[in-house]
Amino acid sequence: MKHMNEKMEKTLYAVLAIASFFLAWELLTAFTPAGETTPGPVEVLRLLFTSFFEPIGKFTIYGHLYYSIRRVLVGYVVATVLGIIVGIAMGTSRYAEAIIKPLFELIRPIPPIAWIPLVILWFGVGELPKYTIIFIGSFTNVTLNAYTGAQRVDPQLIGCAKMLGTSDRDIFLRVILPSSLPQIFAGMQVALSTAWMAVLAAEMIGAQEGCGWIILRGSDTTNIPLVLVGMVVIGVVGLLLATIMRIAERRLCAWNRMDV
Amino acid sequence: MTEIEKKKKRDKIKFTTISVISLCVFFGVWYVATAVMHLMPDYSLPSPVQVVEAFFYKLGNKAPDGGTLFQHIAASLKVALTGYLLGAVIGIPLGICMAWFRRIDLFVTPLFDLVRPVPTIAWIPLMILWFGIGLGAKAAIIFVSAFIPCVINSYAGIKQTRPVHLWVAQTFGASRTKMLFTVAIPTAMPLIFTGLRISLQAAWTTLCAAEMLAANKGLGYMIQLNRSLARADLIIVGMLTIGLIGTIFSVVLGKMEKKMVRGGSKS
Repeated sequence: MKHMNEKMEKTLYAVLAIASFFLAWELLTAFTPAGETTPGPVEVLRLLFTSFFEPIGKFTIYGHLYYSIRRVLVGYVVATVLGIIVGIAMGTSRYAEAIIKPLFELIRPIPPIAWIPLVILWFGVGELPKYTIIFIGSFTNVTLNAYTGAQRVDPQLIGCAKMLGTSDRDIFLRVILPSSLPQIFAGMQVALSTAWMAVLAAEMIGAQEGCGWIILRGSDTTNIPLVLVGMVVIGVVGLLLATIMRIAERRLCAWNRMDV
Repeated sequence: MTEIEKKKKRDKIKFTTISVISLCVFFGVWYVATAVMHLMPDYSLPSPVQVVEAFFYKLGNKAPDGGTLFQHIAASLKVALTGYLLGAVIGIPLGICMAWFRRIDLFVTPLFDLVRPVPTIAWIPLMILWFGIGLGAKAAIIFVSAFIPCVINSYAGIKQTRPVHLWVAQTFGASRTKMLFTVAIPTAMPLIFTGLRISLQAAWTTLCAAEMLAANKGLGYMIQLNRSLARADLIIVGMLTIGLIGTIFSVVLGKMEKKMVRGGSKS
């Protein structure tokens, strides 16, 4: 019974907080000078609604979402696959570690956004530079986590498997990979949000479409409601991506929950 | 025992040599591909020698982007540290309050969750609109990027306090304030430091984006401007400087953490 009440109280407060936030926003923009520069929530919602069937630039919101999400997925998937391979190689073989680690440490501290100018110089303004930037943004996170994950595998487990005559391939597939999976997933989650941020930056700096472009377009034409619509859409997609990853993690790393 | 130690020492020497060779091969291939074979034009991929020359040139010359390397670094650091310190000073206490006081938790957490999913970069145009293109807007953007991880981590840190520890304090008659300062905050310290580290990285990344979009000084501005001038050597100098300063930041914070955090959580 008490549990029920707590839940209700929580929802009640949440509704209250969000309602008062929007009310304060609306009142501030309607009755103070802030309204001259910042639109109220009603105006933003109206524009958000119309943007589903009235195009902004070349596309409606669906078109922009398609472009942004496609860029993220291409770069992210390639980076994840490569990152897991490189990371596990570094974590399991000391030769691979000695060869790759210094190069990796050289590149890792550079934020993906700082690559944008160089990548544009190399690949122009098509889709390839965007894929590359997202690739860089996700690759370092996944690799680093796969590396630590593979390094932290309990040596007793490997020794045990070896003693029972398991082949190297099976040790890799059945011991090393599963026990570093939670760590890899943590890296993939961080990488996905980094990728989402990197796509925005890439689109704000050189693109004709996509969610990042919407915001930039809004600010270039001083259409502030459009900026806010862009922010809302970006926030919702970011939240959806994070939720999908969390559900996938729960399904795939079910054993990880038990020792928490 | 000595046999094993010897082998360890031999191994260490062997693998360090491999690392050094690997780096040499990387720079060697880069050098041969650019300076000897000219596979890529100089304006898009200069040779490592040119990058080093550009670095020394940039130490003392303002051309072509209107500032020496140190002036750009100083401009970036000023913005980054202003925003970061503000974010930490406001974010950590807010996170602690959100976790410690039930009412604040109930009321502020939903609002925070509403704002959190929007990546900081998406705030840039709005901040420029509100604060102009001076120090204010950039510091505000960095503030947002640093603020969010600080709140999340100090919140999580306080929440992981074991109820048993609080009960013990309560049994010995500690007031709620005393419990917060002697039990909950020390428990949260490792996570608060994690938050500080994450937000410093976030701040530094966001700074690049902010300076690329609106600035007339700073490392992000430097690499962006040199793109339009097709000076890849200076872009690479800028990128490496950004990476180096980021590394210095995390090393310094790691040292501070070791000094200030006792115990630390195992997880």
